[in-house]
Amino acid sequence: MSAGLAQSARRSWVVPAIGAGLIALAALSEPRLAIVLALWIGAWGLNIVLSRGTETAAIRLAVPVIFGLTLLAIWEVTVRLYEISPIILPAPSQIAQAFAANTDILWADFQQTILKGALSGYVMGCGLAFLTALAVDKSNFLQRGLLPVGNFIAALPIVGTAPILVMWFGFGWESKAAVVVAMVFFPMLVNTVSGLKATDAMQRDLMHTYAANYGQSLVKLRLMNALPFIFNGLKICTTLALIGAIVAEFFGSPTVGMGFRIKIEVGRLAMDMVWAEITVAALAGSGFYGLMALIEKRMTFWHPSQRGR
Amino acid sequence: MKKLLSTALALGLTTGAAVAQDEVTLQLQWVTQSQFAGYYVALENGYYDAENLDVTILPGGPDIAPPQVLAGGGADVMLNWMPSALAARERGLPVVNIAQPFVRSGLMLTCWGDVGITEPADLAGHTVAHWFFGNEYPFLSWMSQLGIPTDGSDGGVTLLQAGFNVDPLLQRQADCISTMTYNEYWQIIDAGISPDELVTFKYEDYGVATLEDGIWALEENLSDPAFVDKMTRFVRASMQGWAWAAENPDDAAMIVLDYDETGAQTEEHQLRMMGEIALLVEGGDGTLDPEAYARTVATLLAGGSDPVISAEPEGAFTSVITDAALAN
Repeated sequence: MSAGLAQSARRSWVVPAIGAGLIALAALSEPRLAIVLALWIGAWGLNIVLSRGTETAAIRLAVPVIFGLTLLAIWEVTVRLYEISPIILPAPSQIAQAFAANTDILWADFQQTILKGALSGYVMGCGLAFLTALAVDKSNFLQRGLLPVGNFIAALPIVGTAPILVMWFGFGWESKAAVVVAMVFFPMLVNTVSGLKATDAMQRDLMHTYAANYGQSLVKLRLMNALPFIFNGLKICTTLALIGAIVAEFFGSPTVGMGFRIKIEVGRLAMDMVWAEITVAALAGSGFYGLMALIEKRMTFWHPSQRGR
Repeated sequence: MKKLLSTALALGLTTGAAVAQDEVTLQLQWVTQSQFAGYYVALENGYYDAENLDVTILPGGPDIAPPQVLAGGGADVMLNWMPSALAARERGLPVVNIAQPFVRSGLMLTCWGDVGITEPADLAGHTVAHWFFGNEYPFLSWMSQLGIPTDGSDGGVTLLQAGFNVDPLLQRQADCISTMTYNEYWQIIDAGISPDELVTFKYEDYGVATLEDGIWALEENLSDPAFVDKMTRFVRASMQGWAWAAENPDDAAMIVLDYDETGAQTEEHQLRMMGEIALLVEGGDGTLDPEAYARTVATLLAGGSDPVISAEPEGAFTSVITDAALAN
């Protein structure tokens, strides 16, 4: 313990020294680089100092926030100092402006792609996979027949299926939902099937001695034990659904939607708008995932992975 | 080790000698096809070599925006439609038209004959499939000049963002689709549709044509006399290639096929395309016609509530290079 402390004390000057050296070196050859480096090393040092102190809730929040803000600041400063063309990389401030100026368009795109395309496909795909998993679990025949088919569908590349599904289901959100169904079905199926197998023989025997029938032991024992697996599937599928709905729009869409917007704004060289859409997608994806994680926490509070948090 | 080093040195010297030619990278706006025959002919027939140029032709594709490649330093010069290039210019990428091999537009709108569309004004209330990615500007301008909304409001055109094929028309998901005289129109015909079943509106016939396939370079490079000299030789050799391609369309199409690394193009389609392309370049010597330029700008400015460009561009073209190229 004391050796560790002494070591960290001995090392405490190393990082600042290297940092100062780097900055000085850069200042000689390239002053712009020195500014960027100073920003980076300064924020790094601040985080080190913070994390060495007593850990409070505020600090636990501050460290990642400082990290994120530093990345944004470095991005902004680099773009401005090096006068990078907005066609290659717009500064975060320009993206924020585009975001603020186009909230109506972004909202319409969000509704079209996330609410209509991704969410409906997600509900249908995951629901269908769940029901299929129950059937697969009950019947060995289906298990041997359906799982390979599910695997096959999951292996189809989206750039191949999307144009076909657009031709089948039209240009609207329906074809996007179909792509999402194809994308989320298999991960959800596999997770649920393994979840249903998660109970061991002793537990099932116990239910049997209680004279529980299939339904009772399914609801009271096996589905409960499958929940962590099911939620794994649901969480993986949130991001898959988003990717599916956005990419499917590249292959045909009405003149609204996040994928559509990203595609045409790239063509129009309005990269600030493209990044604004990316921001929406990132926020929606994190929110969607977070929501699932929250529900999981509520429903599987008894599981070891959820304890102690 | 010593031997390796000397070999490397020798290699370096020989390649050094070969690189005495000036390098030029050209970004096309679509995949290798007869639309770009002039450049491939100039390469194949050694017109670029004769001008002491080492030209690399980069094919484009559905997800490649040539102005972005130019901005990123991936190419010295690009082919682009004027609406897209002028929009890029207004967006802060100062590109300049240095030559205009295409004197006519090949853009059309092709509709089913049985949906009640006999003139462009009938388009209101119908569904139109169009490519986007910078190619939608001429259509948006045209509709806004006709007073037909394209934002999905009532009594307007319902726009679909289609891939680069004609399936939406064939599947009747759309009543009309944008086509090029030299490409998509023939895909419809090849799908077994007779020309009698179709109604076609050429932008050229309605005075809303915008210039296509111009040669564009970055403004900042044009202040460098060495670059201007390089571009002069490039344009001269390219126009020589176009002249040869127009005279020998069949041979030109075969040269294009040889350069198609994807192997996706067919002989029949390329021969036919070359025939149509020859009509678009006919009578041009690479000089930008100021009248056609003015018409293009006027069309783009007349975009109603959502014009493609909001102000008359200044310095968006130069005749310095074509003047020099044609002088000797």
